[in-house]
Amino acid sequence: MRNVTTLLRRELNAYFASVLGYLVIMFFLIVMGVTFAVIVSYLNRGPTQLTAMKIMFSMFWVPSLFVVPPITMRLLAEEKRSGSIEMLMTAPVTDFEVVFAKWLGALTLYTLMWALTGLYVLILHYFSQGVAALDLGPVAAGYVGVLVIGQFLIAVGLLTSAMTKSQVMAALMSFALVFLLLIVVNWMTWLFRGEPALRMLGVAVPLDKFFKAVSSFDQMEDFARGLVDMRPLVLYVSGTALVLFLTTRILESRKWR
Amino acid sequence: MQPMIRVENLTKRFAGVTALKNVSFEVKRGEIVGFLGPNGAGKSTTMRILTGFLPATAGRVAVSGVDVFEGSLEVRRHIGYMPENNPLYVDMRVREYLKFRAKLKGVGRADRNDRIDDVLEMCGITDVRHRIIGQLSKGYRQRVGLADALLGEPDLLILDEPTIGLDPVQVRQVRQLIKDLGKQHTILLSTHILSEVEMTCNRVIIIHHGKVLVSSTLANLIKPTIEVEVRGGPRDAVQIALRGVPGVASVRMEAGDDERVRCVLHPKPETDPTEEIFEAVKRNGWKLRELSRSRTSLEDIFVQITREEDEAEEDRRDQRRTMLR
Repeated sequence: MRNVTTLLRRELNAYFASVLGYLVIMFFLIVMGVTFAVIVSYLNRGPTQLTAMKIMFSMFWVPSLFVVPPITMRLLAEEKRSGSIEMLMTAPVTDFEVVFAKWLGALTLYTLMWALTGLYVLILHYFSQGVAALDLGPVAAGYVGVLVIGQFLIAVGLLTSAMTKSQVMAALMSFALVFLLLIVVNWMTWLFRGEPALRMLGVAVPLDKFFKAVSSFDQMEDFARGLVDMRPLVLYVSGTALVLFLTTRILESRKWR
Repeated sequence: MQPMIRVENLTKRFAGVTALKNVSFEVKRGEIVGFLGPNGAGKSTTMRILTGFLPATAGRVAVSGVDVFEGSLEVRRHIGYMPENNPLYVDMRVREYLKFRAKLKGVGRADRNDRIDDVLEMCGITDVRHRIIGQLSKGYRQRVGLADALLGEPDLLILDEPTIGLDPVQVRQVRQLIKDLGKQHTILLSTHILSEVEMTCNRVIIIHHGKVLVSSTLANLIKPTIEVEVRGGPRDAVQIALRGVPGVASVRMEAGDDERVRCVLHPKPETDPTEEIFEAVKRNGWKLRELSRSRTSLEDIFVQITREEDEAEEDRRDQRRTMLR
C-alpha cells in the first residue's frame, strides 16, 4: 500500500508537471461552464420539470469521451516507449501495484475536475434561495453516478494504454471503446425499444431490457433523479476489477512472449 | 559462501529466436565482472532476467541463493540496476526523482534524506540536484541513473553499458566511480569499451550468439607473449631449442623460411624467460634479430574468440547443409 501512495504521488505530479493536466481541466471547465450558462438562461425563461443539475449530469458523456482518453493515454504507453517501465518493474513493486496506482492517479484528476463543478451547485444554492430550494439529494446521487461510470472508463483507458507504446494509438483505442460503451449502447436502447425478445438456441433474450440495463445514459438519468441503484454500482465496480486485472496481465505479458 | 550470482543452464527464447542457449556462470561476492559480447549477443537479456524484468525459458538463476523468479521482490531489493539507455522520468527534478526511487526501494524515512545526499555526493551531482532531468546533459543523466542504482545500498550492481555516450573525461570519472564502488559491492557490468574492462574488472565473461565462450580472470586471459626472430638456424632446431628453455610454456612458429625464423612464445605464469632465451640462441650460434615482450590486448582476444566462434558456426552450418544434400 505504501508503494501505491508513492506511485500515486508521482502520477499526480506528472499531470501537473506538464501542461496536460491544466489543459484537460481547462477544456472540461469551458465545456461545463458554457453548458451551465446555457442551462441557467434556459431555465430563466419559465417553469419546467427539469432541474439545472439534472441537465448538467446528462452531459456526463462529454468529459467521458473527451477527457478520459487524454488523461489515460500516457499512463503505461509512455513508460513502455521511453523504457522507464524497466526501471519501474525492477524496483520492488508488483505489477498490480503499478496498475492500481496509475488508475487511482487518473481517477483522482477526474474527481478533482468534477469537484470543481461543485461551484455551480453553490451558485445555484445561493441564487435559488426563496425561489425553489435546491434539493441536495439528487445532486449527491448524480455525483455518485458520474464517479462510478468515470472510474470504469478510466480503467478501460488504462487498458488501452497498456496495449501499445504509442500514446496516440492508446487515445484512439480508448476513444473508440468509450464511444462504443456509451454512445453505441445508447443507440441500441433506441434501436431495440419495444422489440420482442430475440430467440437464440431456444432461449429468449430480451435485448431491449438488456441494453436498457447497461446503458449509462439511462443509469445516469436514474442517478440524477436521486435514485442510487445497486445494480449499476455492482456492474461498474466489478467491471473495473476485471479490466484492471486484464491490464495487469497485459503488463505481465512481456514475461510470456 | 553462496556466490552472488549463479546462472545454471539458462535458456531464453523469444518468439522464434533463441537469445540464450544453456548459459552458465557464477559471480562471486566482491568481484567486478565485465560482461562482454558483440551486439545482440544476449548481454541485456541476461541482465533483464537477473533483475526479474524477464523470466527465463529454462534454467535456474539465483542471486545470493534466492531464485530470481520465485523470490523476485526479495531479489530486486538487493540489486541496483541501471538499464541500457538509462531511462529516467525526464519531467522530474533530480532530487525529487531520487526521493521517489528511494521510497519505492523501501529506504526508511529516517535515513532517506541522508542516503540521497550520499549518492548525490558520490556521483558528483549535488550541484544539479534541483535541475529537471530532461534538461541535463547525457553525462549527468548517466550519473543520475547510477545514483539511483546505488540508493538502496544494494549488494549487487548490474550496469548495462554505464559509459555509453559519455565524453572521455566523463568516461574516466564513471570508471573511477565504478572502481571505488567495487570495494564494497559486487558489480556486473556490460560494455563495448574493452580497455575499460581491463582497467576496472577482475574477471570477464564473454558471450556470443547466446553462449558463454569465456569466463576467466583477466590475468589468465591476457597472457604476456614473447616474440623471437632468429637467423641462421633451421626451423625445427630453433623450435626444439626454444621449447627446451625453462619457463617457456609453448612455442608457436610463424610462417617463414629457414633463414628467418619467427615464433611467439608463451611464458609460464609468473616467469620471465627472456634472458634464458637469449642464452639458448647464443649457445647454438644463431643470430638473434628480435626479442620482445608484449601483452595481447583484451581487444585482440575478444576479436579472436568471437571470430573463431563465427567460423565454427559457419562450419557447422555447412556440414548440416551437406548432410541434407
